[in-house]
Formats: sequence, structure tokens, C-alpha cells
Amino acid sequence: MIKVLFFGRLGDIAGAEERKVSVPEQVRTVDDLRQLLGEDGEALAKALNEPQVMVAVNQDLVEWDHVFEDEDEVAFLPPVTGG
Amino acid sequence: MTLDRDAFMRYSRHLLMADVGEQGQETLLESRVLVVGLGGLGCPVALYLTAAGVGHLTLCDPDNVDLTNLQRQILYTEADCGEPKVDCALVALRALNPSVTFNTHCAVVGDSVLPEGGADFDVVIDCTDNLAARHWLNRRCHELGIPLVSAAALGWEGQLMTFDFARGSRPCLACAIPEDAGEPLANCGNSGVIGPVLGVMGSLQAIATLRLLLKGTNGADNEPYRPLLQRFDGRRETWTRFAIRPVSQCPVCGDEQPETHGNDIHQDKNTERKQL
Ligand SMILES: [Zn+2]
Repeated sequence: MIKVLFFGRLGDIAGAEERKVSVPEQVRTVDDLRQLLGEDGEALAKALNEPQVMVAVNQDLVEWDHVFEDEDEVAFLPPVTGG
Repeated sequence: MTLDRDAFMRYSRHLLMADVGEQGQETLLESRVLVVGLGGLGCPVALYLTAAGVGHLTLCDPDNVDLTNLQRQILYTEADCGEPKVDCALVALRALNPSVTFNTHCAVVGDSVLPEGGADFDVVIDCTDNLAARHWLNRRCHELGIPLVSAAALGWEGQLMTFDFARGSRPCLACAIPEDAGEPLANCGNSGVIGPVLGVMGSLQAIATLRLLLKGTNGADNEPYRPLLQRFDGRRETWTRFAIRPVSQCPVCGDEQPETHGNDIHQDKNTERKQL
């Protein structure tokens, strides 16, 4: 099981701020995880795949090919660029 | 520089603090800071730094004041609508503290404000509203070794990243947000923003700037600022901090790039985690 956190607007779209997810073995990277979560609906898939979305594992920003481990906390952050 | 009688009164609440004091105030009065963008972030930033007696402020924004700005951009009044933001800001800021010297650029930030050959700023504050300008500032500040304090907001959310390029060249903004990502779909103009969220983030930028300026004075620590991404959620009033890691293929600060300024800010992962 891993813990998935959806920040800000992503939480509104996902319908939850936090979700426990058990992932199939072939889902290894945070990018794989993003595609898996996106199967829930087109709106979430689109929002997660915006190129400015950031992803963090255990409060470290990581690149999309980062391989997560069981019990990790994976957070998706929607882009915030206004000023 | 010595403080005159008025300065003693005006800055008395700084002078009372052991880690600011007279020496710190003199440092602030001699400091040069560039504020890029005079919108929801730039307004509180410019107000606080002017009030604090940061001696030389350069303000840069291409826009005129618009009625839709007044919900959050607290430097301006209704009478300012249609006038350049830099001009209106200058009037308000001079009224607040006439001992500060101001330079203004009614333009998008570029070479004329921050030349490639070097610029005389101690800190650059990114209060812009788009990634293109943010990445431009990141590259130029990285190149010149000038600390960059970058914030953003949208809806109920705010974000802050401080890169102390004077004391460490990695990571940088492009390590957190790829340069080729383009602009996101949602912006304040089409999705809205809560004014005080910008106030919170702008206040934090002003705090980070004062800390950077005061580093090394009065025995204050001179360690590099830790490279964190801080997110604020105004709906829950919560903060979350993330460590930013240097990305090895980063086109700005990555391995292929010449190391020009100081050492790597990147710290041991375990140490970093404990401090989070
Ligand atoms: Zn970088």
C-alpha cells in the first residue's frame, strides 16, 4: 500500500485529498502511478498530466522516473504560477 | 553610514532586536533589491521592504493598474486605474519612506533590468505571474550568483522557493519545474485567487529577503538558505515543505554546466529530512 496525496485543485478533481492505493507489481515509477490514477477519469488524467505538475515522494521532489517503494507517500502538486 | 535621529525612531523595532540592531539596519539601508512584478505579490513585498528601510529598490512591471487588480494589489487606489503600476507604486512607497531610493522600469523584465554582464543587486524577488519570466530570472540569477526569492499563488494555494545562488549554485527553479513545460492552463485571470493568500506569500518573500540581506551581519549565520518548496493551502491553513534536489540533467545548473558559484547547496538526505 502507498499513500497518495492530491494537493489543492487536484484534490477537488480526485474527490479526496488522500487515498490509500495498492499498486500492481508493474506499476513502479511515479509516472506509472500517475497513469494508473488517471484511469479513474478523464478530468483527473488530464490534470495529473499537465507538464507543470510536480511530484514528491516522502516530501522530496522527484523526477517522473523515480521508483517508489511500499509504504511511501506520493504527493501530486498542481501548478501554481500566478502572482 | 550612521543612523540619524529620525532613523533611530523609524527603525527602533529593528534596533531592539539583537540579531538586527544598528549594524543590521545599516546593512539593510545599503542593500539593493530588485522586485520583478508589482501585482498581488509585489505590492506587499515592496511595502514591507520600503518600510524596513531596504535602501535601494528597483521595481519592474510592464502593466497599468486595472480595476480587477484592486481586489488584491494593495498599493493601488481607484484613482490609479489606467496608470502604470510602477508610477503609482512609486508615489505610495515614497510617501511611506522617503529615505529609500527607487528605480523603476515600466517593462517586462529583460537585459535592460538585469544585464548579462552583471547587475548590482543583493537579492532578486520573483513576483511575476508566468513561468517564462520565472525561468528567465532563474537563469540570469543563477548565472550572476544573485539569490532569487520566487513565489506564486493561485486560488487558495501559494508556493515559495528560495535559491541562495550567492552561496550555492544548485538546485535551481528548473530542477523543480522543467523549463520546457510551458504555461499551465489555470492562471489568476481565468481561475481567480484569494488576495490575502498573495499577502501571505509576499510577506514570506519579504522575510526571506530580509534574512538573506542580514546573513553574516551581527554574527548571524552565513549558511546557504535551504532549497525548499513550501506550499500553503489557504483552505486548510496548512503548510507543507518539500526538499528540492539538484537534477543532474538540469539545463541550468546540471552536470554539463560549469560550476561557477560556491558549493552545492544539496545536503545529506537524512539531515535534510530531519530539518523538514
Ligand atoms: Zn537546476
